[in-house]
Amino acid sequence: MLKLLSIHTSYGHIKALKDIDIEIAKGEIVCLIGSNGAGKTTTLLTISGILKPDSGDMIFEGESLKNMAPHNVVNKGICQVPEGRRIFPRLTVSENLEMGAYSIGKRQKTKGKQYNMEKVFNLFPVLKERTKQMGGTLSGGEQQMLAIGRALMANPKLLLLDEPSLGLAPIMVSKIFKTIKEINEEGVTILLVEQNAKAALRLSHRGYVLENGVIKLSGRGEDLLHNENVKKAYLGD
Amino acid sequence: MNYETIKKHPVLKSLLISLFAAILFLPFKDIKSSTILFAIMFIFISAVLLIKKSQILPALPKIRWAPPHFLRAASVPSVIMVFILLPFYLNDYYLDVLIMSGIYMLLALGLNIIVGFTGLLNLGFAAFYAIGAYTYAVVNTKLGLDFWVSVPLSAGITALSGIVLAIPALRLRGDYLAIVTLGFGEIARLVLNNWDSLTNGPNGITGIARPSLFGASLDKLNTYYYLVFIFVAIAVIIIRRVECSRIGRAWISIKENEIAASSLGINTTKYKLYAFGFGTVWAGIAGILFASKMQFVSPESFTFMESVLILSMVIVGGLGNTFGAIAGAFILVLLPELLREVQSYRMLILGIALVLLMLFRPQGILGGFKSVHFRR
Repeated sequence: MLKLLSIHTSYGHIKALKDIDIEIAKGEIVCLIGSNGAGKTTTLLTISGILKPDSGDMIFEGESLKNMAPHNVVNKGICQVPEGRRIFPRLTVSENLEMGAYSIGKRQKTKGKQYNMEKVFNLFPVLKERTKQMGGTLSGGEQQMLAIGRALMANPKLLLLDEPSLGLAPIMVSKIFKTIKEINEEGVTILLVEQNAKAALRLSHRGYVLENGVIKLSGRGEDLLHNENVKKAYLGD
Repeated sequence: MNYETIKKHPVLKSLLISLFAAILFLPFKDIKSSTILFAIMFIFISAVLLIKKSQILPALPKIRWAPPHFLRAASVPSVIMVFILLPFYLNDYYLDVLIMSGIYMLLALGLNIIVGFTGLLNLGFAAFYAIGAYTYAVVNTKLGLDFWVSVPLSAGITALSGIVLAIPALRLRGDYLAIVTLGFGEIARLVLNNWDSLTNGPNGITGIARPSLFGASLDKLNTYYYLVFIFVAIAVIIIRRVECSRIGRAWISIKENEIAASSLGINTTKYKLYAFGFGTVWAGIAGILFASKMQFVSPESFTFMESVLILSMVIVGGLGNTFGAIAGAFILVLLPELLREVQSYRMLILGIALVLLMLFRPQGILGGFKSVHFRR
């Protein structure tokens, strides 16, 4: 579905990604793990078009994303849930969700919008209770749900999740991860970036380990979970 | 002691409220009657607040009063009627003040689109006001174009200049954008001041024609009053429509969180340009109304202070609220006029009033109310 071919991305003089090759097949959950500053978020920002790669190419369903503006990438069906949630604090929950369907307005009629709203409420029943509440007054976990729900409103083919467990209570983390699985089972392909390597690898079909902008390891989620090097560096046991 | 504790303390709170009222009352009466007003208000408000705090009285049930349908239906026509009838009861002085407030309403409405909806701080808005005014002044005195032809011309040229400024400036954010717009405001004024062959420099352009309709010149103050408020009404209707459209929602999402907006597929650059173009249109129209009313323009009318004044109107009224911008413009034009009697203390009192307003209602007069209705 999505192929990254030897992508190099830099911030000014600093090379953040060196020769990244990633492949995601339809229906998969793929995770990207690594320590702070390894280049995980940079990879997502490059895919979504916010950062421009210096060289290499990205192919999504046979089309190059390389010089595409961020809003066009979304229109192709790739939605990102940005790091740190970034909901609209002074819009209500339902307004936040409606904003998520912004790109749909051009592709589909409002019918799809309603349908998606129901789907989101089925995934996150808490949000249904809070439709009239301001986004900024939700708890951290609820805001993360809202951010994921908002991205789903656009009917994505590929969902990019940036650190969905960041700053959440452990019980919330497992809830969010369970929902990610549900979303995937409904046919949405997922690229997950996580610090919480153990939980992420358990959930994913395949994983990539990033270190200093280079892919060190890749393989099936389970295999990585039992790999000695990964264990030592990221799993802490 | 911080502000929150003042707010909770009944005696301090009533002291501040009555002091505020007494200061505002000062210009109309002498100091003695102001003091009496202060004393009465202070005793009364303290008593009410203390009784409320001591909870002697049973808590009153909270009532949410929704006006009956016929009242709501009647409110818009009655406001319109008041505006139509006003010139018959007011003398020329107040009519003149109202016309100026109408012109400032257009400016505040325009700036509200840029600062209030989209969240792009603009400190050089007077430049667009100037461009609108000078466009008419030049095409009218040099080419003899009349008012009605010049309205779209002025609005168009102003919007174009807004977009031309925005293209490079929108690479910057927040404070940096504010400084660039401030610089643009000064550049525009200096160009007008020094381009003698076109703008006649600091002497300004005189002999600008008043508008005429079907051959009749609209040079009386009351006809002019109607002209200005028809433009205000048109602006409000159009802005409300745009505000509730896809474009309006995109603007608000950019203000709320730009990264999230772009992650949802909103072309942020495009919508910021729209905001600059659409916002400055109204500054252009305000400019042409100003030039044709005064029949004279000079760079002095478009200083940095003017930009600050328009921004204060938007903030006092409530950022992002169309009716707030109107209220803010109305108050900030009317208040200095009402305070004219205290002469040199005028600006001091106006300043105190603004500081107090911002302390007690930092969100602006109408800021707490949502003006966008997401329809479903």
